[in-house]
Amino acid sequence: MIDKSMNVLVVDDFPTMRRIVRSLLKELGFANVDEAEDGQDALGKLQAGSFQFVISDWNMPNLDGLEMLKQVRADDRLGATPVLMITAEAKKDNIIAAAKAGANGYIVKPFTAATLEEKIAKIFEKLGK
Amino acid sequence: MKSNAQQVAQVEAADGDDLMRRIGQLTRTLRQSMRELGLNKEVEKAAAAIPDARDRLNYVARMTEQAAERSLNAIDRAQPLQERLGREAEALDAKWQAWFEHPLEPDEARDLVKVTRGYLQNVPVVTRKIHAELLEITMAQDFQDLTGQVIKKMMDVVHEVEKQLLQVLLDSVPEGREREDMQHRLAGHWYPGVVEDGGALINGPQISGDADGVVSGQDQVDALLDELGF
Repeated sequence: MIDKSMNVLVVDDFPTMRRIVRSLLKELGFANVDEAEDGQDALGKLQAGSFQFVISDWNMPNLDGLEMLKQVRADDRLGATPVLMITAEAKKDNIIAAAKAGANGYIVKPFTAATLEEKIAKIFEKLGK
Repeated sequence: MKSNAQQVAQVEAADGDDLMRRIGQLTRTLRQSMRELGLNKEVEKAAAAIPDARDRLNYVARMTEQAAERSLNAIDRAQPLQERLGREAEALDAKWQAWFEHPLEPDEARDLVKVTRGYLQNVPVVTRKIHAELLEITMAQDFQDLTGQVIKKMMDVVHEVEKQLLQVLLDSVPEGREREDMQHRLAGHWYPGVVEDGGALINGPQISGDADGVVSGQDQVDALLDELGF
Protein backbone atom coordinates (compact mmCIF):
# COMPACT_ATOMS: atom_id res chain seq x y z
CA MET A 1 0.00 0.00 0.00
CA ILE A 2 1.43 3.35 -1.06
CA ASP A 3 1.54 6.10 1.54
CA LYS A 4 -0.27 8.85 -0.36
CA SER A 5 0.84 11.49 2.14
CA MET A 6 4.48 11.17 1.06
CA ASN A 7 6.28 14.26 -0.29
CA VAL A 8 6.64 14.14 -4.06
CA LEU A 9 8.92 16.41 -6.11
CA VAL A 10 7.94 17.05 -9.74
CA VAL A 11 10.86 18.30 -11.88
CA ASP A 12 10.23 19.77 -15.34
CA ASP A 13 11.29 22.99 -17.06
CA PHE A 14 7.84 23.40 -18.67
CA PRO A 15 5.28 24.80 -16.18
CA THR A 16 2.42 23.22 -18.17
CA MET A 17 3.86 19.75 -17.74
CA ARG A 18 4.44 20.35 -14.01
CA ARG A 19 0.79 21.34 -13.67
CA ILE A 20 -0.38 18.28 -15.59
CA VAL A 21 1.70 15.86 -13.51
CA ARG A 22 0.59 17.65 -10.34
CA SER A 23 -3.10 17.32 -11.37
CA LEU A 24 -2.63 13.65 -12.11
CA LEU A 25 -0.92 13.06 -8.78
CA LYS A 26 -3.76 14.86 -7.00
CA GLU A 27 -6.18 12.66 -8.92
CA LEU A 28 -4.26 9.60 -7.67
CA GLY A 29 -4.51 10.88 -4.11
CA PHE A 30 -1.05 12.37 -3.59
CA ALA A 31 -1.63 15.56 -1.63
CA ASN A 32 1.91 16.75 -0.91
CA VAL A 33 3.48 17.70 -4.21
CA ASP A 34 6.23 20.26 -4.73
CA GLU A 35 7.80 21.42 -7.99
CA ALA A 36 11.29 22.21 -9.27
CA GLU A 37 12.11 23.77 -12.65
CA ASP A 38 15.38 21.98 -13.41
CA GLY A 39 17.84 19.46 -11.98
CA GLN A 40 19.77 22.10 -10.07
CA ASP A 41 16.64 23.48 -8.43
CA ALA A 42 15.53 19.92 -7.65
CA LEU A 43 18.81 18.94 -5.97
CA GLY A 44 18.56 22.04 -3.79
CA LYS A 45 15.00 21.17 -2.76
CA LEU A 46 15.83 17.51 -2.22
CA GLN A 47 18.76 18.38 0.01
CA ALA A 48 16.77 20.96 1.96
CA GLY A 49 13.60 18.92 2.43
CA SER A 50 12.42 15.41 2.85
CA PHE A 51 11.01 13.91 -0.34
CA GLN A 52 10.10 10.26 -0.68
CA PHE A 53 9.57 10.28 -4.44
CA VAL A 54 10.89 12.22 -7.46
CA ILE A 55 9.26 12.47 -10.90
CA SER A 56 11.62 14.09 -13.37
CA ASP A 57 11.90 15.24 -16.96
CA TRP A 58 15.19 14.62 -18.79
CA ASN A 59 15.94 17.57 -21.07
CA MET A 60 16.21 20.64 -18.83
CA PRO A 61 18.56 23.63 -18.66
CA ASN A 62 21.32 23.98 -16.00
CA LEU A 63 21.23 20.35 -14.89
CA ASP A 64 19.40 17.69 -16.89
CA GLY A 65 17.38 14.84 -15.42
CA LEU A 66 19.99 12.13 -15.99
CA GLU A 67 22.75 14.15 -14.30
CA MET A 68 20.39 14.93 -11.44
CA LEU A 69 19.56 11.24 -11.08
CA LYS A 70 23.28 10.36 -10.95
CA GLN A 71 23.90 12.98 -8.29
CA VAL A 72 20.94 11.76 -6.25
CA ARG A 73 22.26 8.19 -6.41
CA ALA A 74 25.73 9.37 -5.38
CA ASP A 75 24.37 11.22 -2.35
CA ASP A 76 24.49 9.37 0.99
CA ARG A 77 21.23 10.74 2.31
CA LEU A 78 19.21 10.97 -0.94
CA GLY A 79 20.65 7.89 -2.64
CA ALA A 80 17.69 5.58 -2.13
CA THR A 81 14.95 8.01 -3.22
CA PRO A 82 12.87 6.44 -6.00
CA VAL A 83 13.05 8.41 -9.25
CA LEU A 84 10.58 8.09 -12.13
CA MET A 85 11.61 9.63 -15.45
CA ILE A 86 8.88 11.18 -17.64
CA THR A 87 10.50 12.39 -20.83
CA ALA A 88 10.12 12.97 -24.55
CA GLU A 89 13.49 11.27 -25.09
CA ALA A 90 12.45 8.08 -26.86
CA LYS A 91 15.75 6.57 -27.98
CA LYS A 92 16.66 3.12 -26.74
CA ASP A 93 20.04 4.51 -25.65
CA ASN A 94 18.19 6.96 -23.40
CA ILE A 95 16.13 4.26 -21.72
CA ILE A 96 19.22 2.12 -21.18
CA ALA A 97 21.23 5.07 -19.82
CA ALA A 98 18.42 5.99 -17.41
CA ALA A 99 18.07 2.40 -16.20
CA LYS A 100 21.82 2.10 -15.68
CA ALA A 101 21.90 5.38 -13.76
CA GLY A 102 19.32 3.94 -11.39
CA ALA A 103 15.95 5.22 -12.61
CA ASN A 104 13.07 3.29 -11.02
CA GLY A 105 10.75 3.83 -13.98
CA TYR A 106 10.64 5.38 -17.44
CA ILE A 107 7.61 6.96 -19.12
CA VAL A 108 7.72 8.48 -22.62
CA LYS A 109 5.70 11.58 -23.40
CA PRO A 110 2.94 11.90 -24.40
CA PHE A 111 1.61 9.59 -21.70
CA THR A 112 -1.73 8.75 -20.11
CA ALA A 113 -3.03 9.00 -16.56
CA ALA A 114 -3.30 5.20 -16.49
CA THR A 115 0.39 4.80 -17.39
CA LEU A 116 1.46 7.10 -14.57
CA GLU A 117 -0.70 5.26 -12.06
CA GLU A 118 0.60 1.88 -13.19
CA LYS A 119 4.28 2.90 -13.06
CA ILE A 120 3.98 4.50 -9.62
CA ALA A 121 2.23 1.38 -8.30
CA LYS A 122 4.95 -0.83 -9.81
CA ILE A 123 7.78 1.25 -8.33
CA PHE A 124 6.40 1.09 -4.78
CA GLU A 125 5.41 -2.54 -5.13
CA LYS A 126 9.05 -3.39 -5.99
CA LEU A 127 10.40 -1.21 -3.17
CA GLY A 128 8.05 -2.86 -0.69
CA LYS A 129 9.41 -6.32 -1.42
CA MET B 1 13.97 51.01 -96.52
CA LYS B 2 13.00 49.93 -93.01
CA SER B 3 10.20 51.74 -91.20
CA ASN B 4 10.95 53.56 -87.97
CA ALA B 5 8.95 51.02 -86.01
CA GLN B 6 11.04 48.14 -87.39
CA GLN B 7 14.22 49.95 -86.47
CA VAL B 8 13.03 50.54 -82.91
CA ALA B 9 12.05 46.89 -82.49
CA GLN B 10 15.46 45.80 -83.76
CA VAL B 11 17.27 48.06 -81.32
CA GLU B 12 15.05 46.88 -78.46
CA ALA B 13 15.71 43.25 -79.32
CA ALA B 14 19.43 43.89 -79.38
CA ASP B 15 19.16 45.65 -76.03
CA GLY B 16 17.11 42.75 -74.65
CA ASP B 17 19.66 40.18 -75.82
CA ASP B 18 22.43 42.27 -74.38
CA LEU B 19 20.69 42.53 -71.04
CA MET B 20 20.09 38.77 -70.87
CA ARG B 21 23.70 38.15 -71.77
CA ARG B 22 24.89 40.49 -69.04
CA ILE B 23 22.62 38.94 -66.42
CA GLY B 24 23.89 35.51 -67.42
CA GLN B 25 27.44 36.71 -67.06
CA LEU B 26 26.76 38.23 -63.66
CA THR B 27 25.12 35.03 -62.43
CA ARG B 28 28.12 33.01 -63.59
CA THR B 29 30.51 35.41 -61.90
CA LEU B 30 28.50 35.33 -58.70
CA ARG B 31 28.37 31.53 -58.62
CA GLN B 32 32.05 31.32 -59.40
CA SER B 33 33.05 33.74 -56.69
CA MET B 34 30.75 32.05 -54.19
CA ARG B 35 32.45 28.77 -54.99
CA GLU B 36 35.87 30.36 -54.68
CA LEU B 37 34.96 31.83 -51.32
CA GLY B 38 33.44 28.56 -50.15
CA LEU B 39 30.10 30.27 -49.71
CA ASN B 40 28.10 27.72 -51.66
CA LYS B 41 28.79 25.31 -48.80
CA GLU B 42 27.34 27.81 -46.34
CA VAL B 43 24.21 28.22 -48.44
CA GLU B 44 23.89 24.46 -48.85
CA LYS B 45 24.11 24.04 -45.09
CA ALA B 46 21.40 26.63 -44.59
CA ALA B 47 19.19 25.01 -47.24
CA ALA B 48 19.71 21.55 -45.76
CA ALA B 49 18.11 22.69 -42.52
CA ILE B 50 14.85 23.58 -44.26
CA PRO B 51 13.26 20.12 -44.86
CA ASP B 52 13.89 19.12 -41.24
CA ALA B 53 12.38 22.42 -40.13
CA ARG B 54 9.32 21.70 -42.27
CA ASP B 55 8.87 18.27 -40.63
CA ARG B 56 9.14 19.87 -37.21
CA LEU B 57 6.58 22.53 -38.01
CA ASN B 58 4.25 19.82 -39.32
CA TYR B 59 4.65 18.00 -36.02
CA VAL B 60 3.76 21.17 -34.11
CA ALA B 61 0.70 21.76 -36.30
CA ARG B 62 -0.43 18.15 -35.85
CA MET B 63 0.06 18.14 -32.08
CA THR B 64 -1.73 21.44 -31.51
CA GLU B 65 -4.64 20.36 -33.71
CA GLN B 66 -5.00 17.07 -31.81
CA ALA B 67 -4.91 18.89 -28.47
CA ALA B 68 -7.55 21.39 -29.55
CA GLU B 69 -9.82 18.60 -30.81
CA ARG B 70 -9.32 16.53 -27.68
CA SER B 71 -10.19 19.49 -25.45
CA LEU B 72 -13.23 20.54 -27.49
CA ASN B 73 -14.55 16.96 -27.58
CA ALA B 74 -14.27 16.70 -23.80
CA ILE B 75 -16.08 20.02 -23.41
CA ASP B 76 -18.83 18.84 -25.78
CA ARG B 77 -19.34 15.77 -23.61
CA ALA B 78 -19.22 17.64 -20.28
CA GLN B 79 -21.46 20.59 -21.13
CA PRO B 80 -24.79 18.70 -21.56
CA LEU B 81 -24.12 16.79 -18.33
CA GLN B 82 -23.74 19.87 -16.19
CA GLU B 83 -26.53 21.73 -18.01
CA ARG B 84 -28.95 18.90 -17.20
CA LEU B 85 -27.85 18.91 -13.58
CA GLY B 86 -28.69 22.62 -13.33
CA ARG B 87 -32.00 22.30 -15.19
CA GLU B 88 -33.19 19.42 -13.02
CA ALA B 89 -32.27 21.27 -9.82
CA GLU B 90 -34.25 24.31 -10.94
CA ALA B 91 -37.30 22.19 -11.78
CA LEU B 92 -37.18 20.43 -8.39
CA ASP B 93 -36.71 23.69 -6.55
CA ALA B 94 -39.79 25.11 -8.29
CA LYS B 95 -41.84 22.09 -7.12
CA TRP B 96 -40.60 22.50 -3.53
CA GLN B 97 -41.46 26.20 -3.66
CA ALA B 98 -44.99 25.28 -4.79
CA TRP B 99 -45.30 22.84 -1.88
CA PHE B 100 -44.32 25.55 0.60
CA GLU B 101 -46.96 27.85 -0.89
CA HIS B 102 -49.78 25.27 -1.12
CA PRO B 103 -49.79 22.02 0.81
CA LEU B 104 -49.54 18.97 -1.51
CA GLU B 105 -51.57 15.78 -1.33
CA PRO B 106 -49.64 13.14 0.65
CA ASP B 107 -49.08 11.07 -2.54
CA GLU B 108 -47.72 14.06 -4.43
CA ALA B 109 -45.46 15.00 -1.52
CA ARG B 110 -44.10 11.46 -1.31
CA ASP B 111 -43.39 11.49 -5.07
CA LEU B 112 -41.54 14.80 -4.83
CA VAL B 113 -39.36 13.53 -1.99
CA LYS B 114 -38.61 10.38 -3.99
CA VAL B 115 -37.66 12.31 -7.15
CA THR B 116 -35.52 14.70 -5.11
CA ARG B 117 -33.69 11.80 -3.47
CA GLY B 118 -33.04 10.29 -6.90
CA TYR B 119 -31.63 13.59 -8.09
CA LEU B 120 -29.30 13.87 -5.10
CA GLN B 121 -28.03 10.35 -5.68
CA ASN B 122 -27.41 11.14 -9.34
CA VAL B 123 -25.38 14.33 -8.70
CA PRO B 124 -22.12 12.62 -7.64
CA VAL B 125 -22.41 10.16 -10.55
CA VAL B 126 -22.62 13.04 -13.02
CA THR B 127 -19.93 15.17 -11.33
CA ARG B 128 -17.56 12.21 -11.50
CA LYS B 129 -18.16 12.07 -15.27
CA ILE B 130 -17.55 15.82 -15.58
CA HIS B 131 -14.42 15.49 -13.46
CA ALA B 132 -13.10 12.85 -15.85
CA GLU B 133 -13.70 15.19 -18.80
CA LEU B 134 -11.88 18.03 -17.01
CA LEU B 135 -8.93 15.71 -16.44
CA GLU B 136 -9.03 14.84 -20.14
CA ILE B 137 -8.76 18.57 -20.93
CA THR B 138 -5.79 18.85 -18.54
CA MET B 139 -4.06 15.90 -20.20
CA ALA B 140 -4.65 17.39 -23.65
CA GLN B 141 -2.35 20.27 -22.67
CA ASP B 142 0.67 17.98 -22.70
CA PHE B 143 1.30 19.09 -26.29
CA GLN B 144 2.71 22.36 -24.96
CA ASP B 145 5.78 20.70 -23.50
CA LEU B 146 6.43 18.63 -26.63
CA THR B 147 5.80 21.39 -29.19
CA GLY B 148 7.71 23.82 -26.96
CA GLN B 149 10.80 21.63 -27.18
CA VAL B 150 10.43 21.33 -30.96
CA ILE B 151 9.90 25.09 -31.37
CA LYS B 152 13.02 25.83 -29.30
CA LYS B 153 14.98 23.59 -31.67
CA MET B 154 13.40 25.36 -34.65
CA MET B 155 14.54 28.70 -33.28
CA ASP B 156 18.10 27.38 -33.23
CA VAL B 157 17.72 26.36 -36.88
CA VAL B 158 16.35 29.79 -37.81
CA HIS B 159 19.27 31.50 -36.05
CA GLU B 160 21.67 29.22 -37.87
CA VAL B 161 20.12 29.88 -41.31
CA GLU B 162 20.09 33.61 -40.64
CA LYS B 163 23.72 33.48 -39.60
CA GLN B 164 24.75 31.60 -42.74
CA LEU B 165 22.83 33.96 -45.01
CA LEU B 166 24.23 37.05 -43.29
CA GLN B 167 27.71 35.62 -43.71
CA VAL B 168 27.10 35.12 -47.43
CA LEU B 169 25.88 38.71 -47.77
CA LEU B 170 28.73 40.00 -45.69
CA ASP B 171 31.31 38.38 -47.92
CA SER B 172 29.78 39.87 -51.06
CA VAL B 173 29.31 43.44 -49.82
CA PRO B 174 32.22 45.89 -50.23
CA GLU B 175 33.81 47.65 -47.27
CA GLY B 176 31.72 50.48 -45.87
CA ARG B 177 28.80 51.40 -43.70
CA GLU B 178 26.50 48.65 -44.99
CA ARG B 179 29.10 45.99 -44.30
CA GLU B 180 29.67 47.27 -40.78
CA ASP B 181 25.94 47.13 -40.10
CA MET B 182 25.84 43.53 -41.24
CA GLN B 183 28.83 42.60 -39.18
CA HIS B 184 27.10 44.14 -36.25
CA ARG B 185 23.92 42.16 -36.90
CA LEU B 186 25.86 38.96 -37.33
CA ALA B 187 27.62 39.54 -34.03
CA GLY B 188 24.30 40.30 -32.36
CA HIS B 189 22.71 37.18 -33.74
CA TRP B 190 25.50 34.88 -32.86
CA TYR B 191 24.50 32.85 -29.86
CA PRO B 192 27.38 30.64 -28.94
CA GLY B 193 26.06 27.53 -27.35
CA VAL B 194 22.53 27.87 -28.67
CA VAL B 195 23.23 25.85 -31.78
CA GLU B 196 25.50 23.40 -30.02
CA ASP B 197 24.59 19.75 -30.08
CA GLY B 198 23.01 18.92 -26.75
CA GLY B 199 24.75 15.57 -26.70
CA ALA B 200 23.65 12.23 -28.11
CA LEU B 201 21.09 11.71 -25.38
CA ILE B 202 19.20 14.98 -25.67
CA ASN B 203 17.07 14.97 -28.81
CA GLY B 204 13.65 16.07 -27.65
CA PRO B 205 10.41 14.57 -28.97
CA GLN B 206 10.71 12.18 -31.91
CA ILE B 207 8.67 13.79 -34.65
CA SER B 208 8.20 10.46 -36.42
CA GLY B 209 8.15 7.17 -34.55
CA ASP B 210 9.97 5.06 -37.12
CA ALA B 211 13.52 6.39 -36.78
CA ASP B 212 16.35 3.98 -35.92
CA GLY B 213 16.91 3.17 -32.26
CA VAL B 214 13.74 4.97 -31.22
CA VAL B 215 10.84 3.47 -29.29
CA SER B 216 7.39 4.22 -30.64
CA GLY B 217 5.53 4.15 -27.35
CA GLN B 218 5.31 3.12 -23.72
CA ASP B 219 4.87 -0.59 -24.61
CA GLN B 220 8.28 -0.67 -26.25
CA VAL B 221 9.86 1.17 -23.30
CA ASP B 222 8.46 -1.44 -20.94
CA ALA B 223 9.58 -4.29 -23.21
CA LEU B 224 13.12 -2.90 -23.40
CA LEU B 225 13.34 -2.45 -19.62
CA ASP B 226 12.05 -6.01 -19.09
CA GLU B 227 14.63 -7.28 -21.54
CA LEU B 228 17.36 -5.50 -19.59
CA GLY B 229 16.05 -6.99 -16.36
CA PHE B 230 14.95 -3.73 -14.76
